[in-house]
Amino acid sequence: MEDRSEIVGHEAPILITGAAGFMGLRLVENLIERGFRNLRCFVRASGAVDKLEAIADRYPGRGIEIVKGNLLSRSDCAVATKDVTVIFHLAAGTGQKSIPDAFMNSVVTTRNLLDAALQHKGLRRFANVSSFVVYPNVRNPTSGLLDESCQVEQHPELVLDAYCYAKVKQDELVTEYGKKYGLPYVILRPGSVFGPGKKQITGRIGIDTFGVFLHLGGGNRIPFTYVDNCADAIALAGLTPGVDGEIFNVVDDDLPTSREFLRLYKRNVKTFTSIYVPHAISYAFCRLWEQYSRWSYGQLPPGFNRRRWHVEMKRTHYSNDKLKKRLGWVSKVPMDEGLRRFFQGCLENG
Amino acid sequence: MLKVAIVGCGKIADDHALQIQRISGCEIVAACDTEPLMAKQLAERFRVKRHFTDLVELLNEARPDVVHITTPPESHFKLAVSCLERGCHVYVEKPFTLNYPDAQQLIGLAEEQKLKLTVGHDAQFNHAARRMRELVQSGYLGGVPVHMESYYCYELDDSSYVRALLNDKQHWVRRLPGKLLHNIISHGVAKMSEFLTTDAPQVIAHGFVSPLLRRMGETEIVDELRVIISEKEQTTAYFTFSSQMRPSLHEFRIYGPQNGLVLDQDRDTLIRLRGTRFKSYAEKFVPPVIFASQFLGNLTTNVRTFLARDFHMKSGMKYLIESFYDSIVRGTPLPISHREILLTARIMDGIFDQLSARRVVPACESHVLDGMPLQFNPKHSTTLT
Repeated sequence: MEDRSEIVGHEAPILITGAAGFMGLRLVENLIERGFRNLRCFVRASGAVDKLEAIADRYPGRGIEIVKGNLLSRSDCAVATKDVTVIFHLAAGTGQKSIPDAFMNSVVTTRNLLDAALQHKGLRRFANVSSFVVYPNVRNPTSGLLDESCQVEQHPELVLDAYCYAKVKQDELVTEYGKKYGLPYVILRPGSVFGPGKKQITGRIGIDTFGVFLHLGGGNRIPFTYVDNCADAIALAGLTPGVDGEIFNVVDDDLPTSREFLRLYKRNVKTFTSIYVPHAISYAFCRLWEQYSRWSYGQLPPGFNRRRWHVEMKRTHYSNDKLKKRLGWVSKVPMDEGLRRFFQGCLENG
Repeated sequence: MLKVAIVGCGKIADDHALQIQRISGCEIVAACDTEPLMAKQLAERFRVKRHFTDLVELLNEARPDVVHITTPPESHFKLAVSCLERGCHVYVEKPFTLNYPDAQQLIGLAEEQKLKLTVGHDAQFNHAARRMRELVQSGYLGGVPVHMESYYCYELDDSSYVRALLNDKQHWVRRLPGKLLHNIISHGVAKMSEFLTTDAPQVIAHGFVSPLLRRMGETEIVDELRVIISEKEQTTAYFTFSSQMRPSLHEFRIYGPQNGLVLDQDRDTLIRLRGTRFKSYAEKFVPPVIFASQFLGNLTTNVRTFLARDFHMKSGMKYLIESFYDSIVRGTPLPISHREILLTARIMDGIFDQLSARRVVPACESHVLDGMPLQFNPKHSTTLT
């Protein structure tokens, strides 16, 4: 039976790209739990599908189809998008250190998918999963609010960050298809997604590049979103009527500060030495590194730069008001429970 | 101003564009890729005025003096021919072509057209490699090389490239005659070719699929290779490619009748090996001090080069491109001789021919060898003619 709060019925074919990934697996489960029975899960030809098959085994008869392929192949895209009504595009570019690789695996793949989907004419929504990285956060004052109204990076070609460049261009492409071909789309920009299965501590908290963990976040709130909460937001954005063309940032409630997170991590997972680097020093360091990189014609790549500082290290506030108001989203897994599960996952996975 | 075009806008094209922009007297006037979005992204990021999806259109409209071909190897020959026929000098990324006959034809065409042609063996032009070349040319070895050892390893980790290669039976690397080896070993082979003196050395190759890959179900990708090269019973060379040995070396050793040299490409160091010995216990104590001082000297050189802003990871590529452009503009000698390019192609053909010949073995032998039917058989050695 069709739920009136959703744009398609439960029998409608739905495509999830990147379905075997960290987020994709949660989204597939979320959609199954919502009652959808015709899920086409697209995974890389080289991707492991054991976890996806385990979900299919747990929900027998729920119409989970696993399609292996390459989004760089237009024919694979044609097969994947045939008759689908909603596409959740989660597949992310690999080769994050190389701009051409990230671009090819994010933008060219998205173009192929969009072209194929438009051929089938039955598409009701294209949910494009982007990232917070598209917000330069430069003009925002310290402790300012970062929400959907903030400007995205205008010159990604100057940023020299492969992931940022690819994601800005991917969002531009989706928007362009919306304007040109009337593609019904939404864009989701999750903050820092965490949950069991993710091992790394986000760079917003600190880095261990130089052999010792440098704590950079200090009192900053970290824009965390627990993987199940984020999957729920993505599902709602793809299914809720009347939100075509909208952008949604995804962050949870009760965001911890970097210092609070690190304290809990050390208490629950493992202890290690960390050195706090005040914001003024991290900013000066980023500025110096950037200048040296430019002066030396890239002898040291500009891995640390002021833009990165503004995106990851500047004290900023985040909002999920739009997500709640327009999609009726709630943070189902509270932050303390999400952190508990994450720490448990870290312990289990070594 | 030398007008440059880049054909193929993937990862390696970025390195070319970055290095070209560091060289004065040239300008990238156009970029080309069959995928329009890829051509556009390179043009946008490197402020290249024009981008194309068709090479002929690029050649006709942008009229470049030099074309850098940075596409997958299968297309190198055809694209290079098109460029040479339209009067452009060509820099072809490695591997130069898929086989020796193509290399020969391409070089013949360039010579006929009086155009310059080179291959992207940029590892031979890193700082330490250049110092080694100067020493060899100055006669440090004391004569023709007696023996060389070239290690060119590649760590097969859990990267997306490796996973894609192993799981995708249609991957373009699998279509190359030498598969994974074809895409990687030319850097290591070219180092030996530079110092070989004949055009027809004997090549004996022994390759196999590593236990790691076999455990992953791989049967075709040879990732362990040992080669013996011998010419005129005078100079010999060993070449080693390994995905499993650690450390994963990129090293070249060359020994003459008097002295030897060890080039470590990863650390950009060059160590001299004295042929003479000290007397008695002095041999135990003095050489370590000499080695220590040589390493210290290498460290000093590397630091000084870094401080002088000339220690980029792709400094060899910049030097090679710059030298190639000099040969076009000023008529200086080509940085890599045609003889060396051809010899590298011949040796690689010899290796791949032997590996593929040994694939066709009786089923019983294949069974005994546990899915690794690439054992050495002397009858399969090749004298290149």
